[in-house]
Order: sequence, then C-alpha cells, then structure tokens
Amino acid sequence: MRKMKAVYPVLTVMLATLALSACGSNNKENASPSSSASVSAPASSSAASPSVEPKKDPVTLTFLIPNTDDVTPYNEIFSEFEKQTGNKVEVQALPGGDYDNMLKTRFSTGDFPDVFLMQPGTKQYVKLRADETLTEWSKEAGVWDNVIESIADFQKTPEGLAYGVPFGKTGQMGVFYNKEVFTKAGVEPPKNYADLIEIAKKIKAAGVTPFYEAVKEGWPTQIFYLSGWVSQVDQAVGAEGVQKLNVNEMKLSDIAELKDLFTKAKELKALDLFQKNALSGTYDEMQNEFGDGKIGMIFMLDGVLPQLEKKFGKEFLTDKVGFFPFPSATDAGTAMITPPNQLMVPSKAKHLEQAKELVKFMISQESINKFYASQPGIPIFKGATSEMYPVQQTVQGFIDAGKSTVNVQNRLTASFLDLGKTLQNFHIDGDVDKAINEMAKNYIKDGNSKRLTGFE
Amino acid sequence: MKRLKYPLYFSFPAIAIFLLFFIAPTIIGVYYSFTDWNINADAIKFIGLDNYVELFKEPRLKQAFINTIIFAAAVTVLQNVTGIALALILNEKLKSRNLLRMIFFMPYVIAPLVIGYIFRAIYHPGHGVVNQFLDLIGLDFMMQDWLNDPKYALFTIIITDIWRVAGFSMVVYLAGLQFIPKDLIESSSIDGANYWSRFRHIVFPLLAPAFTVNILLAMIGSMKVFEIVMVLTEGGPGYTTEVFYTLIRTTFSSGEMGYATAVNMLLFAFVSLVGVPVLMMMKKREVEM
Repeated sequence: MRKMKAVYPVLTVMLATLALSACGSNNKENASPSSSASVSAPASSSAASPSVEPKKDPVTLTFLIPNTDDVTPYNEIFSEFEKQTGNKVEVQALPGGDYDNMLKTRFSTGDFPDVFLMQPGTKQYVKLRADETLTEWSKEAGVWDNVIESIADFQKTPEGLAYGVPFGKTGQMGVFYNKEVFTKAGVEPPKNYADLIEIAKKIKAAGVTPFYEAVKEGWPTQIFYLSGWVSQVDQAVGAEGVQKLNVNEMKLSDIAELKDLFTKAKELKALDLFQKNALSGTYDEMQNEFGDGKIGMIFMLDGVLPQLEKKFGKEFLTDKVGFFPFPSATDAGTAMITPPNQLMVPSKAKHLEQAKELVKFMISQESINKFYASQPGIPIFKGATSEMYPVQQTVQGFIDAGKSTVNVQNRLTASFLDLGKTLQNFHIDGDVDKAINEMAKNYIKDGNSKRLTGFE
Repeated sequence: MKRLKYPLYFSFPAIAIFLLFFIAPTIIGVYYSFTDWNINADAIKFIGLDNYVELFKEPRLKQAFINTIIFAAAVTVLQNVTGIALALILNEKLKSRNLLRMIFFMPYVIAPLVIGYIFRAIYHPGHGVVNQFLDLIGLDFMMQDWLNDPKYALFTIIITDIWRVAGFSMVVYLAGLQFIPKDLIESSSIDGANYWSRFRHIVFPLLAPAFTVNILLAMIGSMKVFEIVMVLTEGGPGYTTEVFYTLIRTTFSSGEMGYATAVNMLLFAFVSLVGVPVLMMMKKREVEM
C-alpha cells in the first residue's frame, strides 16, 4: 500500500511533464518552418518578378479580406503566386461589418495574419497603431514605381511614411439608377436636388418604387449622407472646416448643411419614396429588386457592381445601370470618390518576407491586369488596362472635370462611429436633432477613444 | 460508525482552479473597470469611477437595462410556466411520452446561433413561414415584420428564446415530479382531491427545489442573453432590442476595454442583487421530505 502511495505522485509528475513537454514540442514544430522559411527567404525585391523559382520549403500565408469583397480576382492571383513560388495563400473572408473589430482583436492577441486588406487612408494607421504593428513601405523598392502620384501621396503620412500599399481601384458612391425604369418614367438624371425629388415622384407615379434603403444592415444607409456631404457640406465648410473637424474644433451638429441632409432624408420618407418595410431592407434584396427593375435608384457604392454582374450579367451593368452624384441645390453635384484599399503586412507576421513578396507580386503588372479583368474600375496603377463600366466612365468624367471629392470619412481620422445604428434610429423616430447630436457625440467619442489630438 | 474523512488537501486542486480561472479574473475585471484600458492607448491608467459615471450618462445603457429586465422577466416566467405544463402533461401515461420529451428538449441542445439563423428565415416578412401561414389561414392582417418592427422585435426574440429553453425547464420539473411519492398522490385521490387541488397542495410545494433551480437558472441565463439577440436583430432596429451583452460587445469591439468591463461589472452587480434575494426566498419555501 505504501508502495502504491509513492507511485501516485511519481505518476502525476510524469503525466504533468509529458503534458508540458508535448506543448513544448508542438510549439517547436510550429515555430520551425516559419523561422527557417524567413531565414531562407530571398531579397524581397526579386518577388516583383512573376517568374520566381519555387521555394524548397513552401509556406502557407494567411490573407484576410472582408467578405463583402469579391475574392475571385484574389484567388486567381494567389493561384499564380503558388505556381511561381510554391507558397500557398489561405484566404480568410471575415464578416464585413465586424472586420475591423475582428482584426483588432487578432492583433491584440498576437494572432497576426500575413497580409490583409484594409480600407483606404492614413486614418487606418492610427486605428491599427501602425508604427508599432505594421511594416513600413515608403522606401521599399519596386512598390511605388507604378502607383499614380496622387494615390501614392494619399497613402503617406505628413512625414512621408506608408504602412500600406494601395491596391484595387478608385471607388465611387452616389446614386445608381436603372435606365429602363428611367425610360419607363420618362425621366433623365437630375440637374439639381429639387429635380431629383421630381424624378422620384414620376417614377413612383409609373408604378415603381423610387428608392431602396437597406436599413436592416445599417451601413448602406450612410451612403446618402456621405455622398451628400461632398455635394453640399464640403461647399459650405471647405477644406478648412474638415481640418477643424479633424482636431475637434468644430462640431458636426453645428453644420447646418449636414443637418439639412437629415431633413432631406426625412422628406424622402415622408413623401413615401422608399420601399415598404424599409427597416427590413437588406443589401441582397436591394440588388435583386434593383436588377428586376422594381426599384429606380439606390444610394450605393461601387462594391455593388460585381454583385450585380454576378446576378444579372455583364450586359445589365453595361446597358442598364447609370450613375449620377448626389445633386446639390444648384447643380448636378460632385462625384464622391473613394481611394483604393490597401494591403498591409504586420511587422510580426509569421512569414514576413514571404508576405512582402506576396504584396509585390499582387501589384505586379500581370496581377493588377488580372484584378481589373475581374473587377473593372478606375485604375490606380500606371499602364494598367481596365475596361471600365459606363458608371465608372461617368465618374472618370467628373474626375477629369475637377468635380470630384474624396469621401469625407477618408479625410477625417476619427470615424462616424455607429452611424448605421444612429440612422436606423432616425428611420424609426425621424428626430433630426437627436440623430445629428448622436452622430456628433459618437464622432467625438471615437476621436477620444483613438486618443487623437483635440479630442482628449 | 466512524465517518470516513478525506484529507483537506484533496480539495486544493479544485480550489486552485477556481481561484485561477474564476476568482482571479473577476478581481482583475473589477480593477480594469476602474481604468482607461483602450486598444489605442499606450498605457493603462487608473481613472477611478470615470467609466461608471460615463456609463450612467449613456442613453443606450438605459435602453439595454430596460430591455434586459423585460426579456429576463418574460422569459423566466413563461419558460417556467411552459416547462411545468409540459412536464405535467408528459408525466402522464402517454404512449408517445418519451418521443415527446425528446422533441421538446431538442431545441435546448441546438446552439442558439443556429436557432437564430433558422428563425431569421421563419420570421422573414416576405417569405417567412409565420407570415405565410397567417396569410394561408386568412389572418393576413396579422402579418408583421417580426424582427424589424420596433413594436414586435423584442417580443419575437422572447418567444423564440422560450421555445428554445422551455424543454430544459421541463426536464428539471420532470425530475422533480419523479421524486414525489406516488402514495401521497394516490391517498389524496382516495380522499377526493381533484387534479387542481392535488397540484396546488401536494405537487407544487414538493416541486419547490426544482422551482428554485429553474427560476434561478432562467433568470441568470436570460439576464446574460446574447447570441439569440445578436443573430436575430443585432440589438436593432436602432437600439430597440439592445441588451446588456450586445452593448458590451459594441464597446468591447470598439476597443474600449475598460469601459466594456465596467458595463460587465454593472451586469454582474445587477445579477447578484436580483439573484441572491430570489435564491434565499425560494430556498425558504422548499419542503423537507
């Protein structure tokens, strides 16, 4: 019995040792390929060349992307990357609405992806604490040569640092309309805002719902205000006003033109120009109704185009969809453009060198042409070939005419936090003052949370 | 007879685990709720009651608090009423009672997220089963946008959750019913007691321990509701179905860790304040057999 008593502690110690050593050996095994791979990785400059020799010890890179983006062109590029380097890329599509939060959570727990797609602008650097967490690209060879200067400038901080590499196309937000519905109602794109209301009334009279709002999902409702901002708020506050907002020297609730946008949205609802059950409106249903000609117009971003093409074919986009900016009180308005997304690489990425190699591969001429073949758009790279949709050509026309402005959200460092929720509430109670005050309060809250100057 | 006593150190591993994984995180949580811990900040600073002061100024908290109370009260009461009714029916000698017990218990085994996704389709205003059925039987005037109309959204979530958890209460009550001596029931029948009298004077008092467990678990569980609300409405439309945990999620995911911990601590205090007196009250009415 005494012998047995002695056996138990020994067994316990042995089991504990076994368990701990198992953990340890597992870590070693996990760590080994990455460390050896990063040592054996060649100089990153050679990666830009599409004819890279396959590696002896291929690795699997993780690439994060919001699931609202079409992954088709990325998969094509990654397939070619694998052929040429032997390195695989695992695409992880995270829910679009929670993308930032999930990414930040992964950062805070040290679970870094190798490469990820991020929304445009240097404001993202603040959000992700770029100087501590991300790879800096400004002096990296083979990255900036083909990027259009204005895009490269937008990518850099006042100190000239770039923690992301621009990728994709110049986007747009505004009013997409169904040309067949317009023909049926006998109307043309509006010359000013009052004209837009008249057009909507005529469409309604023709038996078609003029506007669709995907209120349930929150984010699409913001487009009315963001595209309206460049046509009527920017004119009033100017670049100086935006700069004041950036340092919290001006309150959003004090901008009469912004308040007017809320009033205008309320008027659209009062005139019964939205679809029935707007509160249950979804992005998916919006596409279907728009494609089926049950809806005349949608306040939307160009991200909807690949979805519409998938559902209704390319001809629908080329022949039946038109675009115009949010009209101002006096003219057709200013086109709101969004800078391209950016590729980012965490400085603590598991396969850092291979990740940088992948980014350079993605911006090689061959890859970007592959991207534009799948997702036509206004190119951001010199020499890139892209067959633009007519709606993109329309925006290109506004850009060429100097009638375009970058989305205010890309010019401000703090964000319009929870604006989707605020607008859902506004849709329910129609209280303009409450809505704009909440928007202003949440903007300050976000600035404060990000520890921005002026928001303390 | 000598009673066998185990040495005290046998409890040390359990106590260590409890301290490490339950007590320590709670104490750390209390501390963090008094800090400005933020994903964007370089350092964590002690800020006293600032988070709590800020919290009480937040209109969303008031809405979340009211919704949580409504949800918890409705679910606790209706879950138990449904649970005991099912238990009483399925305690009778029915041919299919085992099958029915399994059917009623099954929703509890399914993950709330899965149930949420299924019910999202069921409640769809256009092609959801509920509205289609109402239309089919000529009650089309009752068709509603169940999850997106602020008037019905919370009510709809409550009904869904009761459907999910009533089977669990049923099982606990069934177990309680098995412990009631049959001779008590039989003798009361001989004495001429009808079903209602038997239930009121024998079954109900002897079911007290099952009541204590069910009421307490239902109350605490429903005050901590999250998944089903998240999937069905995400706390919307607007803030109309916001509950404590959806608010915590919003604040936590926007990087305000200290503030989110304060919301969590407030919920912890609230659950304790309600739960402990209810437990004591329910324990008092338990009958020793």
